[in-house]
Amino acid sequence: MDDLPLQKIQISGPTLASLLQRFSSSPGDVDGLLFGRVTHIAATTFADDDPTTTVAASSSFDSPTLIATITSFICSNSNSTFYDSAGRLNLLSLRRICSDNQTLSLLGWFSGRRKTPLRPSMRESAVTSSLSSKIQFAFQVENSPKSYTLSPCVFLLLTTPFHDQLIHTHEYRAYQFRLSTEFFEPKTLDVVNIGPAFRGHYGAFCPNSQFPMLPCELRVSSSMAEDGNCESESLKSMKRVSEDQRVLDMYAEDFDVGRLNRLIGSDAANYTGELEDMYKKMLAKLEGLARLVEKSSARVLEQENHNMKLRCRVAGLE
Amino acid sequence: MAIDTVPPLIAAQLNYLLSHSPLPIKVEQMWSGSKNHGLLDRFTLVIPFCLDYIRWDVIYNALYPLAAPDIIFGPEDESFRPYYAAGEEGDLKSPKNSMSDWNCKDPTRLLSLILELRELYMTYQRKRVGEVEDERLKFELSTIVSREGIEMYMSSGIEKTEEVKFALPLLGVDINKMVTGCPWRQKQKIFLQVIFPVGRKYMSTPSAPRLKLVASPELKALFSIEDFRLPSWLDGMCMAEYLPILEGLLQSQIVDAVSSIDVRRKFIVALAPLFGRPVEADPVFCRKAAFLTSSGVFTFLVHFSLPLQFPKQQPGLMLQSSQHFNPSGAPVKSPVITEFPWSPRWESSEMAERFFDYLVEECLNFKKYCNESLLQQR
Repeated sequence: MDDLPLQKIQISGPTLASLLQRFSSSPGDVDGLLFGRVTHIAATTFADDDPTTTVAASSSFDSPTLIATITSFICSNSNSTFYDSAGRLNLLSLRRICSDNQTLSLLGWFSGRRKTPLRPSMRESAVTSSLSSKIQFAFQVENSPKSYTLSPCVFLLLTTPFHDQLIHTHEYRAYQFRLSTEFFEPKTLDVVNIGPAFRGHYGAFCPNSQFPMLPCELRVSSSMAEDGNCESESLKSMKRVSEDQRVLDMYAEDFDVGRLNRLIGSDAANYTGELEDMYKKMLAKLEGLARLVEKSSARVLEQENHNMKLRCRVAGLE
Repeated sequence: MAIDTVPPLIAAQLNYLLSHSPLPIKVEQMWSGSKNHGLLDRFTLVIPFCLDYIRWDVIYNALYPLAAPDIIFGPEDESFRPYYAAGEEGDLKSPKNSMSDWNCKDPTRLLSLILELRELYMTYQRKRVGEVEDERLKFELSTIVSREGIEMYMSSGIEKTEEVKFALPLLGVDINKMVTGCPWRQKQKIFLQVIFPVGRKYMSTPSAPRLKLVASPELKALFSIEDFRLPSWLDGMCMAEYLPILEGLLQSQIVDAVSSIDVRRKFIVALAPLFGRPVEADPVFCRKAAFLTSSGVFTFLVHFSLPLQFPKQQPGLMLQSSQHFNPSGAPVKSPVITEFPWSPRWESSEMAERFFDYLVEECLNFKKYCNESLLQQR
C-alpha cells in the first residue's frame, strides 16, 4: 500500500446534497461508507529548457497528482454500524456492505454529528486509522502510469453549528488520513455540478449502471420449425431470447427484444423513433422502481419508528 | 413546549461522576444532539490538569442508549490517540479498556472512563514534553522525574509561544494532621506551578521560569498563599536547587500559622470572663467569635473577626443590634469599626479589658445610630 497525498477530494453535487439530507433528517447521529475512485491526473509541465534538466518532471512523477472522487455512499441511520465502541472494525459487516458495490472502491467513511466541534473525535480517529491500515480494502489508482494502491483513507465529517443559525445549517470538512504521520490532513472538497463550467470534471465520472450487452440480430424462431434437427437448437435460441428479454426488462418496461435489430443495420431507417420509444420505456421502468422504493421506504419507516420506541424504553425515556 | 431533560441512564452516570470524583470535575454546559431539542445528551467536562483545566466534550446519543459515549478532545490535542492500539474485533492482542465492554446501566462507567483517559493524557503530555528539543528542559526534567505526583503540560499554538508547564506537589507533610480537630475532608495540597518557555536557540543565561503557588481553596482558613513571598530564582538555578529552599520556607510558615491558632484562641478565651461565653466561635481556626451583651436594656451582639496576621494585624469589630430591624427585616448592624485602642504588645487579658472599656462607651453611640435609622424608616 502506498501512502500518497491526495491533491483534492471531489464529490458530485447530488451525492453531497443527498448526504446532507440523510444527516439532517435523521433523528440522531449517522455514519456510513463512501465509495468512488481515485484517478491520477497527468501534471503537464512544459519546460523550455533542454531535456537534461528533466529533474523537475521526474520529481513530479514521484509524487503523482491524485484526485479522489466520491460518487456514492451508503448511510445507515444510526452510528457504530461497522465498528464497536472502542473503534475496532467489524470486518464481517464491512465486507457485507462493500460486496454490493463491486465496481466502486471503498474510499473511506463519513460521520455526521450535530452540534459538535468540527474535528475528529476519539472513536473516529481510531476507526479511520484501523480502516486505512486494512490491506484487503486497498484499491488501485486509475489512469496511472505506475501502479499505485491506496487504502480507504478519506474521512468526511459533518456537523451543525452550535447555536441554531439561520445563515448556514451544516458544516463539513474532508480529511485524508496519512498512515505515515498518523495525521488527519484537511483537503479541499470540490463540489462538481452539472453545467457547462463543469463539463471537464465529468471525465472522472463513468456510469454505474451500464446498458447490458444484447444481441441485435435475432433469427425469428418460426423459420426453424421445419427443420427437425434444429429443434434442440431452436429451444436453445428460445431460451436465449427469453434470457435477453429478461435482462432488457430490467432496464425498460415492455420493450420487446426483437425490436433491437431495428436500431442498427439495414432496418435502422426509423432508428430515432425506436430509440425514443425505448427511452420512454426506460423512464417508465424507472418510475415503477421509484414507486416500489416509496412503498418499501414506508415500511422501513414504520419499522424504524417501532425500533425507536423500543430504544426509548430501554433508555428509560418513556 | 419541550422541557429539556437528561435521559435517565446518562444522568445516572453523570451524577455519579460529579459526586464520586476524586478531582473537582465540573460540567460547563449541556446540550442536545438530537433533532428535537428536548433530550440533553452532550456536555463539556472541565477537568483539572496541571493546575489548569482541559475541556473534553462527551458525546452520547439519547436515541442509542446502549452505545458508549464518544469524546472530543481539545483542539490542540489532535495527536492524542488513547485507544490507538485497537486491533480487530476478537483480536486477542487488543488491550481491554473502558470502552471495550461498555455497560450503559452501570453508573460508575463514565467516571472510570474519564479517569483512565486522564491518566493516558498525562502519559501523552509527558511524552510530548520529553520530545522537546531544549537542553535546559531536558536537564530539568531529569532532575525532577523521580518526584511523585508531577503533572506536566506542553502548550503550543499558532499565536502562543511554546511553553512547558510543570505542576509540582510540595510538602510531603500532612497539613490536616497538624491542625487539631481539622474539619477538612480532603487532604490539603500546595503546588508550585513552573512555566518554562521553550527556547530552541542557545542562551547563555537561561531566563527564569514563571512561578506561582497554588493551594487547595480550604487552606485559606489557616494560611494565605497570596501573602507568601516566593524566594527569588537566582540566575543559573535549577528546580532541584530551588525546591528545597521553597519547601523549607513554606514549612516554617505553615508551622507558624498553626501556632498562631493558639494565639487567637487565647484571645477569645480572655474575652469570656468579661463578655460571657461566646454565642458563636470558630473552635478549629479561631477566626471569629460573637458575644451577646447588654448595656441597660439595650441588648446587642459583638462580632470579632481575627485575621491570620493577628496580633500584628488588629481584629475587625462589628456590632449588631437585637432590637432594631431595617425594612427588610434584618437586624441593624454597625459598619466595621477600626478606630479603637489597640496594641499588639498587650497581653490578651489586657486586650480584652481595653475592648470592654471601649465598648462601654461605643455602645451608646451605636444605640443612637440604631434609633436614628429607625426614625429614618418612618
